Amino acid sequence: MIALPAFSQVNPLPPERAFRFTARALNPQTIEARFAIADGYYLYRDKIRFTAQPVTAGLSVPPLPQGKPKEDPFFGRVETYRGSLVVNLTLKDAAIGQNIVIQAESQGCADIGICYPPQVQQATVPIRAANAAPARPDESRKSWFD
Amino acid sequence: MKKGRWAVLLGATVIALAAGLYLGMRSQSDNASDASTLLALSLPDTAGKSQPLGQWRGKVLVVNFWATWCVPCREEMPQFIKAQQEFGPQGLQFVGIAVDDADKAERFAKELGLNYPVLVGGFGAIELSRTLGNRVVALPFTIFVDRHGNVSHTQLGPVRPDQLSSIVSKLL
Repeated sequence: MIALPAFSQVNPLPPERAFRFTARALNPQTIEARFAIADGYYLYRDKIRFTAQPVTAGLSVPPLPQGKPKEDPFFGRVETYRGSLVVNLTLKDAAIGQNIVIQAESQGCADIGICYPPQVQQATVPIRAANAAPARPDESRKSWFD
Repeated sequence: MKKGRWAVLLGATVIALAAGLYLGMRSQSDNASDASTLLALSLPDTAGKSQPLGQWRGKVLVVNFWATWCVPCREEMPQFIKAQQEFGPQGLQFVGIAVDDADKAERFAKELGLNYPVLVGGFGAIELSRTLGNRVVALPFTIFVDRHGNVSHTQLGPVRPDQLSSIVSKLL
């Protein structure tokens, strides 16, 4: 084998650690969805989608906050997020005691010059009258091609 | 894209993925540097025609997993075009495997003027690349195969021009 170059010694994070997703209920009508984005990594604004199960919970997603603009020669103007992204999602018909699964689809890259395929992560959020800790992301990581 | 073409691509991708998973496991247990996993694959080109990678056996083969949504992938491709043009007559062969759909891959290949084949793996190709050593399943991911069918080098992330020159010159 040919000796590995310096880049090969770098250990990029797996996507679920580079873009850590959590969600928690602030109240029965509001879910706080959060991406903690590791240093040196970024997410594309237009690749982020949220869905909820069961669909009868009536999820409503507000416009995402403005990201940092970036010119892409192939896709034109795109926006990216670094650090963290917090979005307050609205539920119309979630009942106290119900578990809502929030599914977040995202796609991002690392400054070292790699990009991850679109990922789907999910978190189960118990709806309570008063809430505490964020829901842990589910262990299973999905992607578009699963 | 016509439904028939999608069906052909999807079928070929599933078959290739299954072959890759099977051969990948076998390859790891037999010989980690053996490229038989790769050379046993067939994937459709952007026109939907199945292309066995074994057709390039005996050449110095550089297989590059890429996608149109991957900026670093696109940025490194002009140097591949240049190297293909310069060293192709000496037996260097680049092959791109697009982790994308055929329409986007074809459009991008035309825009950039790719002078080497582009095969279409869809999103299933990223899993295929995992069986070939791409543990983080990110792009770009590039595999260099020598004339004897052995993997001489794999790289996650862009290949720098000086690296490309160094690796290829040793293999030709």
